Amino acid sequence: MQTETPSLSAPWPVKPNELPKEIFHREDIFQLELERIFRGPVWHMVGHVAELPKPGDFKTTIVGDVRLLMMHGKDGRVRVFHNSCPHRGTQLETAARGCRGEIECPYHRWVFNMEGALVSASGRDRFPATFRNEDYGLRQLKTEQRHGLIFSTFSDLAPPLDEFLGPAGDVLRQALGGDERVTLLGYQKVVYHGNWKECSDNEGYHAPLLHRAFRLLKWQGGKGTQAVSPYGHKTISAELAEAPKGKFLNDPSLIELRDPSRVPRSFVAQLFPLNLFVRHLDVINMRVAFPLSPHATEVHYAYFSRQEDDSEMCAHRRRQAANLLGPSGFISLEDGAVFDRLHEGSYTPGTVAFQKGVTDDGGIESVQLQNDEASNLFKWQVYQSMMGFTHD
Amino acid sequence: MIEFQTLALVDTLQAAYIRSLNSKDMKGWLACFAPGNGQYECRTSESDEQDLHLPLMLDDCYARLQDRVLFITEVWSGTYTDYATRHFVQRISAQRGADGLYQVTTNFMVAYTTARRQTEILVAGRYEDDIAVDKTAATFVRKRAILDTITTPRYLVYPI
Ligand code: FES
Ligand SMILES: [Fe+2]
Repeated sequence: MQTETPSLSAPWPVKPNELPKEIFHREDIFQLELERIFRGPVWHMVGHVAELPKPGDFKTTIVGDVRLLMMHGKDGRVRVFHNSCPHRGTQLETAARGCRGEIECPYHRWVFNMEGALVSASGRDRFPATFRNEDYGLRQLKTEQRHGLIFSTFSDLAPPLDEFLGPAGDVLRQALGGDERVTLLGYQKVVYHGNWKECSDNEGYHAPLLHRAFRLLKWQGGKGTQAVSPYGHKTISAELAEAPKGKFLNDPSLIELRDPSRVPRSFVAQLFPLNLFVRHLDVINMRVAFPLSPHATEVHYAYFSRQEDDSEMCAHRRRQAANLLGPSGFISLEDGAVFDRLHEGSYTPGTVAFQKGVTDDGGIESVQLQNDEASNLFKWQVYQSMMGFTHD
Repeated sequence: MIEFQTLALVDTLQAAYIRSLNSKDMKGWLACFAPGNGQYECRTSESDEQDLHLPLMLDDCYARLQDRVLFITEVWSGTYTDYATRHFVQRISAQRGADGLYQVTTNFMVAYTTARRQTEILVAGRYEDDIAVDKTAATFVRKRAILDTITTPRYLVYPI
C-alpha cells in the first residue's frame, strides 16, 4: 500500500525555479522520502571494491535509514545484505570495516557464509519441519559494479544501472583515474546539521563566491561544462587555471597537480539522491551519505590513490585528501557551514527561488554555464515527481 | 624519572596551547610549535585501527601550520558558524626519547558551545606529542591529536 503524499501548506510552486521551504524540515515528508526515494526505484553508490578488496572483507553502511552489510564473497562478488539476522533481527556486524571467514550472529549462533547463505542453526531439530536453510540466507539487495563502484537498489522497478547512470558513468570512470584500480587511503566522517537535500544542492554559482580560496587560487576560470540526466544526476567537468605560484599559500605544494596522466581538470558526479564523486587536483573522493533525520546528515568521505602511484605520489594524495576537500578542507569547509545555515533558514514561511541560469518564466536556460545554479532544478523535478507533489 | 621542572614546562606548554584554542588566538596556537619545524596532525583512531592513516588535518611542515592560521583567520572568516571550545586535558605519560625530545601522552575531552549557547562534547581522545624542552620553555616538534570520536558532530574549524 502506498503512503499518501503529505499536503503542503501551499501547492507545489508552478515556476520550476521555486521550492517550498517546509520540505527541508518536515518529519512526515522525510518519512515519505525514505520510502519513495531512498527505498524507491533508484541506485545508490554504496562503496568501492577497494574498500573491501579480498574475500571475507566487509564494510557496514546505511542507505536512507536501512543498515547494510557489504561482504566480499569467496567467489569474488561483493554482495550487499541487510545488517540484520534473518532469525530475530540482531545486528550482525558492528564494526565499520573488517575481515571474517563467516558471519556468526551472537544471539542464537546462526552462522552464514561469506556469500550470505545460512550454514548452521543450533537446535534445528526443534524447528518446524518446513524450515529450509535456503529460505533464511541474509536478505540481499540487487547489486552491480561499475569501475569497482558498487551500486545497490531496494526496488525491482529501478531502471537498468547503465541507463540510470547515463553519461555520469563515464565521468565516474574518469574521476577514478580511468578504471577501477584504486586503493583506499582512508575516511573522514562528519555530521552536518542540514537536511539531506540541503547537503546535496551545491551548484557552480556559489563556488567562487562562498569559497574565497577559489578566488585566491584563481580557480574560477569558468571553462567547463555541466550535464544533467533524466534521473536527476549532474556532472561537471571543469578546467582549472594554473594556480599562481607562491603568492598566497606558504606551502603551495599542497595544491600541486602531480598526476602526469591528465590536464588540470576537475570532475564532479552528483548522483541522485545522495552520492557524490569528486576528482579535484590529485584528490579522488567518494562521498557516501545518509540522512539521520530531517535535520542531520552524516557524510563519509572516502579517499583513494591509484595502484600505480609510487610512495611519493601516495603521500601527496594523502596530504591533499587530508587538507583540501573534506569537512575541514581548505576549499570545502564553508559548504558545511552553509548546509547548517540553509537548515536554520528553512524555518521561515514561503519558498526559495533559484535565479542564475533561469529563464524569464522561471524555467531552465538550455545552456548552463559552469557557474550557473539552475542545472540543479532538473533534480528537483525528479524529486517532485517521485514524491507526488502537485501544483494544485 | 623526569625532573619536576621539565614536567612543569611541558604542562605550561599544554596550557598555552589550550588557552590559545579556547580564545581563538591562532597566532598563540602557532607559537606553541617549534619555529621552522613544528608539525601538527589530527586523525581518528579508526584510521590507525584500519591501518589507513588518513588524517582530518595534516600540517606536515611549518608552512602548513602557517597556512592553517591564514585560513582560519582570513580565508574562512565570515563563512563558518562559530563555536567556542573548552579543552580538558590530563597528562598520562611522559618519557625522554633517544632523540632528546619528550614523548608525552595526554588525554583530552573537548566541549563546544554553539552560537545558540548550547554545549556538547565535540571530541575525546589523546595527544601524542614530541616536545622539545630547553632551560626556560617547551615547544611542540610534533603534535598529534588522535580522536576516539570517529564521526565528528560538526565540521571542525579549529584544530583540536
Ligand atoms: S537473532 Fe540471530 S541467531 Fe537468533
Ligand atoms: Fe562548495
